Amino acid sequence: MEIRELAAMPAMGPLFARALVPSLRRGPARVPEHAVRVAGLSQDRARLADYDRVCGFAIRDEVPPTWLHVLTFPLHVALLSDPSSSVRLAGVVHVSNRMRLHRPVTAAERLDATVHIEGLRPHQRGALFDLVGEIRVGDELVWDGVSTYLAPGAVVPGEPVEVPKPEFTVSDPIAQWRLPADLGKQYRRVSGDPNPIHTTVIAAKAFGFARPIIHGMWTHARLLAGFEARLPHTYEVEVSFTKPILLPGKVGAWWRPDGVNWAAAATTPDGSKPYLVMAVRS
Amino acid sequence: MNAPRSAVIVGGNRTPFVKAGGAYAEASNLDLLTAALDGLAARFGLAGRQLDEVAGGAVLKHSADFNLTREAVLGSALAPTTPAVDLQQACGTGLETVIYLHNKISLGQAEVGIGAGVDSASDAPIVVTNRLRRAILAANRAKTVPTRLAALSAIRPAHLMPVAPQVVEPRTGLSMGEHQAATTKRWGITRQAQDELALASHQHLAAAWASGFFDDLVTGYLGVTRDGLLRADTSREKLAALKPVFGGVDGTMTAGNSTALTDGAATVLLAEEGWASANGLPRLARIVDAQVAAVDHTAGDDLLLAPAHAVARLLARQGMSLGDFEFYELHEAFASTVLATMAAWESAAYCRESLGLPDALGSIDRDRLNVNGSSLAAGHPFAATGGRIVASLAKQLHAHGSGARGLVSICAAGGQGVVAILEAV
Repeated sequence: MEIRELAAMPAMGPLFARALVPSLRRGPARVPEHAVRVAGLSQDRARLADYDRVCGFAIRDEVPPTWLHVLTFPLHVALLSDPSSSVRLAGVVHVSNRMRLHRPVTAAERLDATVHIEGLRPHQRGALFDLVGEIRVGDELVWDGVSTYLAPGAVVPGEPVEVPKPEFTVSDPIAQWRLPADLGKQYRRVSGDPNPIHTTVIAAKAFGFARPIIHGMWTHARLLAGFEARLPHTYEVEVSFTKPILLPGKVGAWWRPDGVNWAAAATTPDGSKPYLVMAVRS
Repeated sequence: MNAPRSAVIVGGNRTPFVKAGGAYAEASNLDLLTAALDGLAARFGLAGRQLDEVAGGAVLKHSADFNLTREAVLGSALAPTTPAVDLQQACGTGLETVIYLHNKISLGQAEVGIGAGVDSASDAPIVVTNRLRRAILAANRAKTVPTRLAALSAIRPAHLMPVAPQVVEPRTGLSMGEHQAATTKRWGITRQAQDELALASHQHLAAAWASGFFDDLVTGYLGVTRDGLLRADTSREKLAALKPVFGGVDGTMTAGNSTALTDGAATVLLAEEGWASANGLPRLARIVDAQVAAVDHTAGDDLLLAPAHAVARLLARQGMSLGDFEFYELHEAFASTVLATMAAWESAAYCRESLGLPDALGSIDRDRLNVNGSSLAAGHPFAATGGRIVASLAKQLHAHGSGARGLVSICAAGGQGVVAILEAV
């Protein structure tokens, strides 16, 4: 696969503007076949501290795996605004996410980040595809992640694949979060994700939501932060985003050990319906 | 080897407790604690005397009060050369200060000292938002005018709103009442049982006041001579008419069977037994032993049931059983906390699975429970509750006769609990 080296992480504003313009191309959906890579990325400790605070993590030298995802996100946007992509970020839905921390990563480490797209496949409502990221320190793979997106209306030949429903059991929440109306702005500040459906009512309404919705990756991070002290040094975490959370809002959360693994969820305050279902595997 | 030393409770003094926003609305933690220390000094002739240490604390504490207890000593009748220390373990604070001094006296590091606690929910610290605080701190760190202005430019109008102290458990986002509502439901504690316990608390406290029990335990303050929350004329019917405040519309916890926000201060004078005799001071009770425990409410454990665990360990160490006490003082954070704690001790399943015991710990005789009333009737100025209970129980045990034993159990925020055994001298 061709790897296109970028000198630095692309600024997301202009990219995003392009990524927001819907594709007018007809015919089968196409995604870029090349990978994008940024080498020698240094981490901004002040921004990391801000990220930790917004998501509920303790400020440590070791970074949360979701922070490493955030570092790769500009490369997601770069690929989905590339001329070779008929799929645009506008309107795509983050369906699920999986990442593995292969070893603890500290804020002092310089990182090489690479992202490519694979697995374009038909779905009843359009097409699914995976943004596959890798972070290395030198030759060592320290983190990898797969973000699965749904592009509604995109056409891919073949039989639609079923996305398995995540296992969810109704439980009493252990914790309750009160999400303030400006949480989308707070998370935009630390993640750089400028998608306006998280910050403005008008954009949210344009995509069919009564109010702005919080970024799924915030919910992911906040839930992980709830039991971060219990997590092993290395693990894989998989989440399914089952329902968006409108801002401001009240959310329930629970986590419990499942053998050597953990099960967790962000739910409605009474625990009856999931917003996000999580599994952590050692 | 030195002769064994024994710390005894000489006596106590507290202010009357009043509802937040009432007669003490203008008094600070420092004012209240100073008043309670002065009352104790007057009662036991300590004016001008240098004690070995005063340990005190508050739960709702201003950052300016970093040396609250020392400042209270300096403002009191005690010799200004009396050292002091601030301790804090949420509602366990008052009892912890007593245990701290007991341990120092037992080890020969002190002869005489005071354990104390105070809380003013009226004078609670109001702070600025984190965003405003960070912007100001960043501006202070800035070395040039432009960077300072840049830091200050991050301030938005919403950041200027003052922030009241958090009433929720930081890691769960649930208030103590919401946590306890879940416990109440899980243990099937009925509204009627809670109201009965609240009624008994008021009746016992009213009887104790009427009999003069508090005459040498309380000193009036700001025109108040009696606990202000006490409703001597409350009844089953009045309590049953109250609407639930926790647990939703079907909840069983009301303002009547939950403690109210309260202002007050309490102190306990402790001394080495020989020292107390030599100085002609009363020797009411010894502290036999004490224990602290914690549960993991961040994994769904009952937030306020840590004392059930602490008592199990304490009894095991002492080779005692739950029935071995003349009196029980179970702090009434909520009526259902006391009832759930007793239900936990009666549950063979809980005692086996959560306390690691072979069988149920047993039940306690309700006629020996909180015989002079507790927090539901007296109120609960968080850090002052331990001192109120210890001084009252020591007096009660002493009146009962030498060797009488009492159990103190106090639950605290953060899933903690502190318990102690007292024995009449």
